[in-house]
Amino acid sequence: MSSFKKTYLSLTLFTIFMFSFSYMLVPLYDIFCEITGLNGKTNQERVLVVNENPSERFVTVKFTSTVANSAPFTFEPIDREMVVQVGKIYNTFYTLTNNTTSVKHATASPSVVPHEDAEYFKKIECFCFSQQQINGLETKELPLQFIIDNELDNDTRTLILSYTMFNTTDQVGSK
Amino acid sequence: MSTDIEKLHDDHDHGPSSGIMRWITTTNHKDIGTMYLWFSLIMFFIGGLMALVIRAELFQPGLQLVVPGFFNQMTTMHALVMIFGAVMPAFVGLANWQLPIMIGAPDMALPRLNNWSFWILPFAFTMMLSTLFMESGGPAAGWTLYPPLSLQGGDSFPFTILAIHMLGVSSILGAINVIATILNMRAPGMTLMKMPIFVWTWLITAFLLIASMPVLAGAVTMLLTDKFFGTMFFTASGGGDPVMFQHIFWFFGHPEVYILILPAFGIVSTIIPAFSRKRLFGYDSMVYATASIALLSFIVWAHHMFTVGMPLAGEIFFMFTTMLIAIPTGVKVFNWVATMWRGSMTFETPMLFAIAFIVLFTIGGFSGLMLAMVPADFQYHDTYFVVAHFHYVLVPGAVFAIMAAVYYWLPKWTGKMYNEGLGKLHFWLTTIFVNLTFFPMHFVGLAGMPRRIPDYAVQFADFNAIASVGAFGFGLSQLLFVYILFNTLKKDVTAEDKVWEGAEGLEWTLSSPPPYHSFEKAPTVD
Repeated sequence: MSSFKKTYLSLTLFTIFMFSFSYMLVPLYDIFCEITGLNGKTNQERVLVVNENPSERFVTVKFTSTVANSAPFTFEPIDREMVVQVGKIYNTFYTLTNNTTSVKHATASPSVVPHEDAEYFKKIECFCFSQQQINGLETKELPLQFIIDNELDNDTRTLILSYTMFNTTDQVGSK
Repeated sequence: MSTDIEKLHDDHDHGPSSGIMRWITTTNHKDIGTMYLWFSLIMFFIGGLMALVIRAELFQPGLQLVVPGFFNQMTTMHALVMIFGAVMPAFVGLANWQLPIMIGAPDMALPRLNNWSFWILPFAFTMMLSTLFMESGGPAAGWTLYPPLSLQGGDSFPFTILAIHMLGVSSILGAINVIATILNMRAPGMTLMKMPIFVWTWLITAFLLIASMPVLAGAVTMLLTDKFFGTMFFTASGGGDPVMFQHIFWFFGHPEVYILILPAFGIVSTIIPAFSRKRLFGYDSMVYATASIALLSFIVWAHHMFTVGMPLAGEIFFMFTTMLIAIPTGVKVFNWVATMWRGSMTFETPMLFAIAFIVLFTIGGFSGLMLAMVPADFQYHDTYFVVAHFHYVLVPGAVFAIMAAVYYWLPKWTGKMYNEGLGKLHFWLTTIFVNLTFFPMHFVGLAGMPRRIPDYAVQFADFNAIASVGAFGFGLSQLLFVYILFNTLKKDVTAEDKVWEGAEGLEWTLSSPPPYHSFEKAPTVD
């Protein structure tokens, strides 16, 4: 009989382990993406130590924007394209307009293409680090300060930074 | 039920209790196997009706019969019903009937749990199908439930998730039962490498089930909490990632597709030797091939999502691991062919289905290889080519194997022989119509027709019309199958104990039908 019990017990434990494993996949996925820079994830927190060390290289940075799920926003970059010196700090803006008359909350989610260069696109100041509160019909300028790291792959000529703006008013309201 | 019970020396046995309570309270593996098989047949027809709604709408371009929202519910529900309601319960039913009498055990290891794992199913499916009558309609985001679309579903969403949880519990309990039975209750002398190949494939399938179903449970639980409790697993605005759902889902999903096919391999490996009157060629390599397919299934999941934006290294890794699966699968196909080589073959209905399985499943395997190639997949992704591929491996694959198994073992289960002429007619109708349905889908897919759409460009009209005719022919042919079943049941001629001349295994040493309680005294295997 004991061999029966051992079988049941180990199979049940294995089932529970696999259920927990599905939740373990969540942090594992994030860690994996962070280490490898896959998935186009850039830094979600401000970069504190910045060594400005301009090189002779110039790359093109393109800025794009998307508004998610038909949220009532107009969201556009001021500069659609910049030619920047690698290793030098630059500033630019996005504008966000609330097309309704009520107060809204918005959060931007960034992504960089090519994915493998995402880790060299360092944001020093970014509106995506925090949630934005915007009054009805208000237009806000959202600042972005960034530097392209000198480690950037030699073959890369163009980087695209894309933001998706989400309406998070409901999520804020429910908290 | 059977007078054979009286022949037993120390008979303290009873037959089944009578009336409906027999089926509700039964712990007998044969009763539960029968219920699983009937349930699966009913679900096969419900899922089939949904497929016919889809094919009727696609008979010609334009919107004729249903609104696009309902069309999406049909594609979603058709998949869920066929996978979790038809194919999986059919295999569990076959396992229930066959495993104990193949390994010389008196019953399954956990008979009450066995009863429970069956009776969860009707409730889960009642709940899932009831969503079709809700105001919001049923789930319509595809059976893969990708967020954010699935999170935007209406009231059907929590019902679908709970139904999937229940199906998961049922499958996991079934799998634990299968493993416990196989590992602990084999007849003396039956070592692992002497087990019938169907038992082997089910043992490996059961391990796949307990390794992958909990992951699905986790993934849908995350969806549920994302929707109702503000967790942000897959919500990009809260730092989550919808692509992560695809990774977790397919980490379950790819082993799942082998859950749907490995028992079919076992069935075909049983039937081909019986009608070739030779031993299975390369038994050991069959076992190792099955095990390697199962192991590989856990490291290939991302080939379902090559187009989400993966780095080159990832695409190359998943492309080559996927192609690697062709090697053990090829071993199996060549072993089946080698088994038939110079055998004294006869072509009874089970054998016809098994041979058609080999031919048509291989076509599905080849289109799978085409899909595995990253550069090509960018064109094929989410087209009808994918639909053609997985229907070739699931319908003339899994479903044909189940049909073959039913024809092969039906005389053993019922003690009565089915009508061979009608069986062959059923086979030919099914095979012709299945190809008429799914083969044109390759062409429209390669030409760029996307899947999951109720309307399409006019240049796809002819092939779609052919596919729809095939689908209705296929559906109607299955009514013949039901007729054959009932026709067999009401016959009064008894089948021989060893129904097929070339069949081997312990189940053929029992009477036809086998006594309600068989192998109470374990047989010895040498």
